[in-house]
Amino acid sequence: MPVSEYHSALRELISTTVPLSDVEWTKISSIWHIHTAGRKEILTSAGDHEKYLYFVAEGIQRVFYLDDLNREATIVFTYPPSFGGVIDSMALGIVSKYYFETLTPSVFLRANYNDFKQLSTSIPTINTFINKGVMQTLSGVIERLVEVQCYTSEQRFKTLLRRSPHILNLIPHKYIANYLSIDATNFSKLLNKVQF
Amino acid sequence: MKALFAERKTTSTKELLRTLSNRVEEQIKLAVEKFQNLPEAALKTPAANGGWSAAQCLEHLNTYGVHYLPAIEKGILSNQGMPGNAAFRNSRLGQYFSDLMKPNSGSKMKAAAKHVPAFDIDTYSVVAEFIRQQETMLRLLRKAENTDLNNIKIPISISTLIKLPLGDVFQFIVAHDTRHILQAMKVLELQPEYAKDFGNP
Repeated sequence: MPVSEYHSALRELISTTVPLSDVEWTKISSIWHIHTAGRKEILTSAGDHEKYLYFVAEGIQRVFYLDDLNREATIVFTYPPSFGGVIDSMALGIVSKYYFETLTPSVFLRANYNDFKQLSTSIPTINTFINKGVMQTLSGVIERLVEVQCYTSEQRFKTLLRRSPHILNLIPHKYIANYLSIDATNFSKLLNKVQF
Repeated sequence: MKALFAERKTTSTKELLRTLSNRVEEQIKLAVEKFQNLPEAALKTPAANGGWSAAQCLEHLNTYGVHYLPAIEKGILSNQGMPGNAAFRNSRLGQYFSDLMKPNSGSKMKAAAKHVPAFDIDTYSVVAEFIRQQETMLRLLRKAENTDLNNIKIPISISTLIKLPLGDVFQFIVAHDTRHILQAMKVLELQPEYAKDFGNP
């Protein structure tokens, strides 16, 4: 796909949150650059500072936590058209506690977060965009907390597949099972039991 | 004796690793899109001639991965800091093994006892392990980019006394995987409900 189409998709996504004039868009688009990665490439590691805000143009990625016993906890999946990266590290300037990795070959547009913030001095709507983005993310986190604390594993499974039915054929099931905190055996039972 | 006459080929390390990575990527895609979404019964159905089921074909490959993947990781780690090599030349034995694996080689081999899959296996665990191994293989192919594929030697699975250069081992594993994935697809193709998914387009 030509890079211009990725930029169009990015503009469209930003425009769902804040209106952009052509002049503003020209300035914004100049700081986003193409970045490609193969399957299972770590883009940000725990201990790094997240420098980039990613726009996911192709592929699926995840943010995950790795504990002292090498156990993984998948926190979120990202796929087009959405933003990705370790956002708390990026926005607060703190060391990342998480990993951001590709689960399939991926294409991004990415912008240095400082450049993006810098643009807000000349384009105030960028702050509105960031605030709304943070609120949407918070809303998603609260929703996920409810799912984790109140839902049965079958309800969590059905909820995810209603939201993202395509994911079953695109990434290894172990990552989905991990995201849902369901062990592999129960996941395969659910897969056989639940019809869509 | 045929191994002595196998024709040795020299290839660019970068090109070889890219070709193998592309093949592994295709294999992962197939496993993720198709194999992992099949019901247990489809994966467990034996071949028409009573041969291995699709799950057994994958389990057979997993038994190789259990030996080779840690051995490759160890080989790459122990050669860290050593100079790389932009070219790789197959050993005669390595070339012989890779040629044997080609789908059109016409060769039929009996698997060594340690690589014969059990009949009653947990199909979901087998497919999950297969995908995990393929992802590991992709990571190792990337990790090998700046190494000398001629100098890193890996013991083969049926005799630790025989060692092959890493470049040969990579080629053998990918060719062997392709061979048995095709076998698994043929078994599935003969099941009417999956003929469309696994038959020739």
